[in-house]
Amino acid sequence: MRTDRIDLLARQAARCRRNVVRMVRASGAGHLGGAMSCLDIMTVLYFQTMRHDPKNPLMSDRDRFVLSAGHKCMALYSVLAETGYFDKSVLDTYGSLNTKIPGHPDMHKLPGVEANTGALGHGLSIATGMALGLRADETGARVFTLLGDGELPEGSNWEAAAAAAHYHLDNLVAVADCNGLQISGRTAEIMNMEPLSDRFASFGWAVLEIDGNDLRQIVQALDNLPLESGKPTMIVARTIKGKGLSFAEGNAAYHYWKPSAEEQAQAEAELDEAIARLEGRGKCHGN
Amino acid sequence: MGTDYADPRKTFGAAVYKAACTNRDIVALSVDSGGSSGLGDFKREFPQRYYELGIMEQGAVGIASGLATTGKIPVLCAIAPFVTARPYEMFRNDLGYMGQNVKIVGRNSGISYSDLGSTHHSLEDFAIIRMIPGVTVLAPQDPGEIGGAVRAMLEHQGPVYMRIGNEPIPCLFEEQPFQIGKGRVARKGKDVTVIMTGSLAGNVMEAADLLAQRGIEAEILAMPTVYPLDKDLILSSAAVTERIVTVEEHYVIGGLGTMVQELCCEQLPLPVKKLGVPHLYATSGSYRELLAHYGLDAAGIAAGVEAFVQ
Repeated sequence: MRTDRIDLLARQAARCRRNVVRMVRASGAGHLGGAMSCLDIMTVLYFQTMRHDPKNPLMSDRDRFVLSAGHKCMALYSVLAETGYFDKSVLDTYGSLNTKIPGHPDMHKLPGVEANTGALGHGLSIATGMALGLRADETGARVFTLLGDGELPEGSNWEAAAAAAHYHLDNLVAVADCNGLQISGRTAEIMNMEPLSDRFASFGWAVLEIDGNDLRQIVQALDNLPLESGKPTMIVARTIKGKGLSFAEGNAAYHYWKPSAEEQAQAEAELDEAIARLEGRGKCHGN
Repeated sequence: MGTDYADPRKTFGAAVYKAACTNRDIVALSVDSGGSSGLGDFKREFPQRYYELGIMEQGAVGIASGLATTGKIPVLCAIAPFVTARPYEMFRNDLGYMGQNVKIVGRNSGISYSDLGSTHHSLEDFAIIRMIPGVTVLAPQDPGEIGGAVRAMLEHQGPVYMRIGNEPIPCLFEEQPFQIGKGRVARKGKDVTVIMTGSLAGNVMEAADLLAQRGIEAEILAMPTVYPLDKDLILSSAAVTERIVTVEEHYVIGGLGTMVQELCCEQLPLPVKKLGVPHLYATSGSYRELLAHYGLDAAGIAAGVEAFVQ
């Protein structure tokens, strides 16, 4: 795997994280922790893996993405803005009246959003239906969905998990963003869903466990889909909640973040520094 | 009143099958419910467009939404409470909020699964589904109307909830093109307006004969679209009769009667009497016995209207 490719993705991920903090500045608050934990995965999906066209968001054979954990919408808005679905000035409307980027995504307001999620446990069913329909039409399109580990106790996930395996939907790829924390504390203590990989495997899914903040591992996984012909793919991504901000990493208190002025400034400074550092490295590689 | 009867489920299934012969986007979803929903022919002729999902109504509604995003027209039919109350949030978000072109059909609605008890009754479906913005609610009243309603709902762009019963129902009306949002005058009268919907239409028409024998000329409005309500038809009839009785196989709160009351409070006002099932867990027994128990057979409806008029 080429180093410059990974470096480029790292810069893009850093810019996307900076977009998240920009949205928080606009609204004064937001679901930070989960947006930051999944952003490396989201970056690889939108900058590399998925077939999509920001200038033609309804292209019929596009790959679909469903954000089951809708509260991580700042991650989705970040990559949509960064890939050119809308002008970045829209990020500054987060939290304002009639914004195109509300606190959970709305497909009727923003091109590129495929489903109205937010209530947990809906995305996998919707994605399963999309995969069934797209397969019937032989478009070759795939469906990606990102779930949070905190939403996995929702029974509807397991209804969809059974159906996707029953119908051999190998055009369906689910990523579980397992940052191990939810609003009340540690996911394993609130409702233990481990061993998660074994559970999905026993439902008939092909499963791969990766470090979900390691771009090499993410690219390696998403470059080799489906994991197994005739089976839906589950990527269990172990991530760090709040990834990219020193004070927020691994801290459930930053699930929903209402920063002080000092914290906001610190977050922006840390991410600006990260971008500068990564851009400097890019120059060394001749980018 | 007509003398021919037909099974509402078979009538529904035949109409879906016929439409699917020419429209390849129509797909059927079953939650172990397709055969009992009259979709046997569909399954046999179009196996690639027939998705058996097992008993998972929440998943099924979400899957239907996903299918619809790809241009399919999913039809999901099962016992009414299991496709309304059970997956309500999926109905609200995945179909209503997402505006997806999915057709949900609740069969064995009302108290028609009479002896199976309250878990299998559906007496709040009008109330809860009409609360979801953008969803059309249909309750066709005779076999011809079921066929017309199926055609109309499949041509309509957007989520639709249709409820049908279980027992054979009489042919009541001359067939005419089904228009969503439009009712019709099923019998002219001047003393009282009686608004009916769904599976009780036969009993209401019979009750109108009984009332006529007692000197009460009821104007009967047939209302196969519960939401959006045909307000003009109701207001024009009420302008003559100045009183309204509603009849539905639903709780007396939240459904057709409440909608008519809402309209009349805003526009007239005038008295509205609601006939239906009281707000409790209905008892069990044969369907015929239950209807009589709650005053929803022809004699009970006639008595309810007569008491109100006097």
